[in-house]
Amino acid sequence: MLVNTYSKRIFNLAYRFAGSYQEAEDLTQEIFLKVYHSLTKYDFAKNFTAWLITLSKNYLIDEYRRTKWEKKNRDDFDDRLLSAAPTEGPEANLIREENKRMVWKSLNVLSSEIRMTVILRDIQGKSYEEIAEELDLPVGTVKSRVNRGRLQLAKILQDRKESADEL
Amino acid sequence: MNCECPVELLSLYAEGEVGAEERLQVEAHLLTCPSCAELLSALRETSASLRAIPELEVSRELLSRLYAIPEKKKRFSFSLDFLLRPSLQPVLTVATIFLILVSVYFFNPNKKQFDRVVDRQLHLGYGTVEKIYAKAGSVTDSLGSYKDTFLGSLKKLKFWEKPKD
Repeated sequence: MLVNTYSKRIFNLAYRFAGSYQEAEDLTQEIFLKVYHSLTKYDFAKNFTAWLITLSKNYLIDEYRRTKWEKKNRDDFDDRLLSAAPTEGPEANLIREENKRMVWKSLNVLSSEIRMTVILRDIQGKSYEEIAEELDLPVGTVKSRVNRGRLQLAKILQDRKESADEL
Repeated sequence: MNCECPVELLSLYAEGEVGAEERLQVEAHLLTCPSCAELLSALRETSASLRAIPELEVSRELLSRLYAIPEKKKRFSFSLDFLLRPSLQPVLTVATIFLILVSVYFFNPNKKQFDRVVDRQLHLGYGTVEKIYAKAGSVTDSLGSYKDTFLGSLKKLKFWEKPKD
């Protein structure tokens, strides 16, 4: 039941955060192990999904700090991650794919807290209020983190474009 | 880009999360600042790229690993439950006290002195027990002698013999 409902969500959160498929599988397993051990501490008055995401987020950030994944490279942005949407012609698609590749690789530049909020907002499409509840932060802090993360990524994209134009 | 650029508002503006007043402020600024317009375009591309990262399916191998977790936990918790049985609590308490005493004895820095004190106390105790035993012996001897005297005096009385007519 728990695995059927939440495994995909937790795995994708771990994959987007860590950037490595193998690492994400191991992390998902460890998160579920922690969930089973912590179920007795769950307060039934609270939202279960928010509790689960908070636990997963804390685990991912703690592991990130402990093992320093930022030194490792993220997986290549391969066919698994390239959603097929050839609607704007081959050149536009090529640019879009290059942008996605660039943004995916640059996620590790962001600090763990900022990366987590950007993933929840821009990749998982959650509202600021939902993120604030899941991360136990004020909405203003969430907005500020998302903003900083986007600006960092946008500047990386801009610099990349400028250096490509110069060539 | 200068310090008057509303950079902090740009990403919120791009997703329509600003109020009417801030929106007008950003739009007015964008007309005069090409670098902010470029940044806004980059922000939109970034958001579009992030949104386009698809959700992946969980592999069968991972699913089977996840399904196996509760079973593993059950097996693990069985041994723990056994140890945490309430009936074992007095045994565990006694074992803990015993281990504390043993550790106090073995890790005592004045172990030799402690041994000597214990030895002396044991000898004193043994001596006291011997004395008590000896006294108890003398008490039984005197009780025996009292018994003999008592029986002898009873015999002398001969009050159960019938008087001679």
